[in-house]
Amino acid sequence: MMTSKNILYIEDDREIGEWVSTDLKERGYGVTWLTSGDRAVEEAGSCQLAILDVMLPGLDGFTVGQRLKKQYPGLPVLMLSARTSIDDKLQGLQFADDYLTKPFHPDELAARVEVLLRRSGAASSEALELKHLLVYEKENTIKNRETGEEIVLTGKQFHIFQYLLRHLGQIMTKEQIFEAVWGEPYLDGDKTLMVHIRHLREKLERDPATPEIIETIRGIGYRVRS
Amino acid sequence: MRPARKLKFRNSLLSRYLVIICFALVFIPILIPFSFMASWGVNRLLFPQSVEQEPIPRSYGSAYTLEETWHKEALALGGKTPAEIDAGLKNLKQRYPDASMFWVDAEGVTRLRLPERSGLPAKWSPEDAISYMKTAVDSDPFTIVAFIGGEKEAAGQGFMVFELPRKHMKKTTRNGDGDSRFYGFFMFLMFAFFILLSYLFFRDIRKRLLRLESGMTRTGPNGLPVRIPTGRPDEIGRLEQAFNHMVDELGHSRRRENEEEELRKSLISNLSHDLRTPLTVLAGQLYSFRKEPLSEQGRTSLSLMETKIDDLSGLIDHLLSYNLLASGRYALNLESRDVLRVVRVSAAAWYPLWEKAGIEADIDLPEEPLSWRIDEQGFRRVLDNLFQNLVRHASSGGYVGISLARRHGRTALVVTDRGPGLGAASPAKGAGLGLQIVDLLLREMSLVRETESSTEGGTRIYIYPSV
Repeated sequence: MMTSKNILYIEDDREIGEWVSTDLKERGYGVTWLTSGDRAVEEAGSCQLAILDVMLPGLDGFTVGQRLKKQYPGLPVLMLSARTSIDDKLQGLQFADDYLTKPFHPDELAARVEVLLRRSGAASSEALELKHLLVYEKENTIKNRETGEEIVLTGKQFHIFQYLLRHLGQIMTKEQIFEAVWGEPYLDGDKTLMVHIRHLREKLERDPATPEIIETIRGIGYRVRS
Repeated sequence: MRPARKLKFRNSLLSRYLVIICFALVFIPILIPFSFMASWGVNRLLFPQSVEQEPIPRSYGSAYTLEETWHKEALALGGKTPAEIDAGLKNLKQRYPDASMFWVDAEGVTRLRLPERSGLPAKWSPEDAISYMKTAVDSDPFTIVAFIGGEKEAAGQGFMVFELPRKHMKKTTRNGDGDSRFYGFFMFLMFAFFILLSYLFFRDIRKRLLRLESGMTRTGPNGLPVRIPTGRPDEIGRLEQAFNHMVDELGHSRRRENEEEELRKSLISNLSHDLRTPLTVLAGQLYSFRKEPLSEQGRTSLSLMETKIDDLSGLIDHLLSYNLLASGRYALNLESRDVLRVVRVSAAAWYPLWEKAGIEADIDLPEEPLSWRIDEQGFRRVLDNLFQNLVRHASSGGYVGISLARRHGRTALVVTDRGPGLGAASPAKGAGLGLQIVDLLLREMSLVRETESSTEGGTRIYIYPSV
């Protein structure tokens, strides 16, 4: 996907830093690579996402991340660390949006970066192609590529679809979707979500009986594949 | 350890109680006369002696002196003629004008009566004498009968009688019966005071001991007993100080323990970092190689190396986690949670990997929650290790089933695969540590793992509460 998003990347290990920043640049992102967190706050102003190592000379990644979040609350922060203990992850996730442990596959990093950018609303202004649909996230519009018609969703249907799009490729459980959209605890065997998904499919799918856009993962939840 | 200060005897409970005992012992000899005096005083105060306030017309002395005098006079009149006896009595009458006198001669004839009076027999028979004596004993007037010329026995001259109203006599015995009526009361008051002192003394001890006990059982926010306020520096005070000292020591020890724990965690984090950083560099280099034109064998080698890097990364993670768990440094936060929700979230994260490995997932969990007391992160770790093992060792079966079943009367979570079973040779090694971590975590959460394995039917892992 071509995009001109800027990523602030802080990594003190030169070999890893070189490799990751090159890979991200090849994927179309602008990368500002720093080897310490000293100038992080200044540089983050022009970036849409920050990737931080935890063990840095001077200020550690947790401190830098907290400062960035304080200064730019909407900036997604991804911790990329060789520290894998649950304590470290929990400490990181208190403020960070995601935590990836080393060693990692560049494709996984890129996928997570894309999810975070989408979730923060900094996604591309270009249309997202999903089978026969064109989704314009900035404009909140969905078009059927084949018929050229715009698909109009109700408030709840739109929120459900938007939530699944922001977690594109991820399986979300029924509880997670319900609680994110309705803001209430999911009750046992609540049928509300199922009804809304059925109506959503009637509007989005070519054949609602064999859905291609919103996939049911039996026993778990739903997924919109990229 | 702080050296214990010597307890001063004067500060001790023993000394205080000894003071109370000595006070009681010393005061018993004082207490008795004091009680008597107090009783006398109160008696005088409440019942003033009215008799003493009445004017005594004339007093002729005590019964004893009168009796002595009358007998002496009777002896002196011995051998005297009746006329001389009359004269003698008249003399005596002048000395005792308020008294009545008469005398009876040897024949029993009543002679001189001073003053003249009736009611006396003119001639005394023995019955008359006895009757007179009987009425005269302990009556008013006070009566003295003396044999004329004889002291204690008759001298053949008759007898002379002296009668005096008692109001003219000095009392020989005081009317003090009522003086001791409050004595018992005052004695009782004193003993009651002593008992009260003892009661207050022991009640104070009991109160302080109870306070100490409640203080010892109260725990603060850090899970340690809290310091208690210290009172007087006696035995209990010393106990309170010793307890506070113990609390301080516990606090220091806990702080040291926390510091050690932090140090250990930090060491493990650094170790993890130092091991994983070169692995990441290696993975990066391998990824770069993929972009180069490579032979089929080269690509196979690259895939193998990438797999090994992943295995090594997992092993490092397992080793460090096992180290923390085995040393009891892994703090679990047990809360009642819906296990099925945690399982679904974990399965959602693993689903793409199962798809990639060609594993069919059959998740058949009810909508109703299943609440167990678990640490959510710990339980996620258990599931991660089980699913990771499944992908590594049982992917050939192409199946993962997650469901609920009854096991030994309890609801169990069941993870099923159709792999070669635990006893079979696996293409990847190192499952043991992952399962040991699973067992350690489950034990901490009071859960049990049971595995049924066969070479034909794969493996079924049951997880259920131990109690």
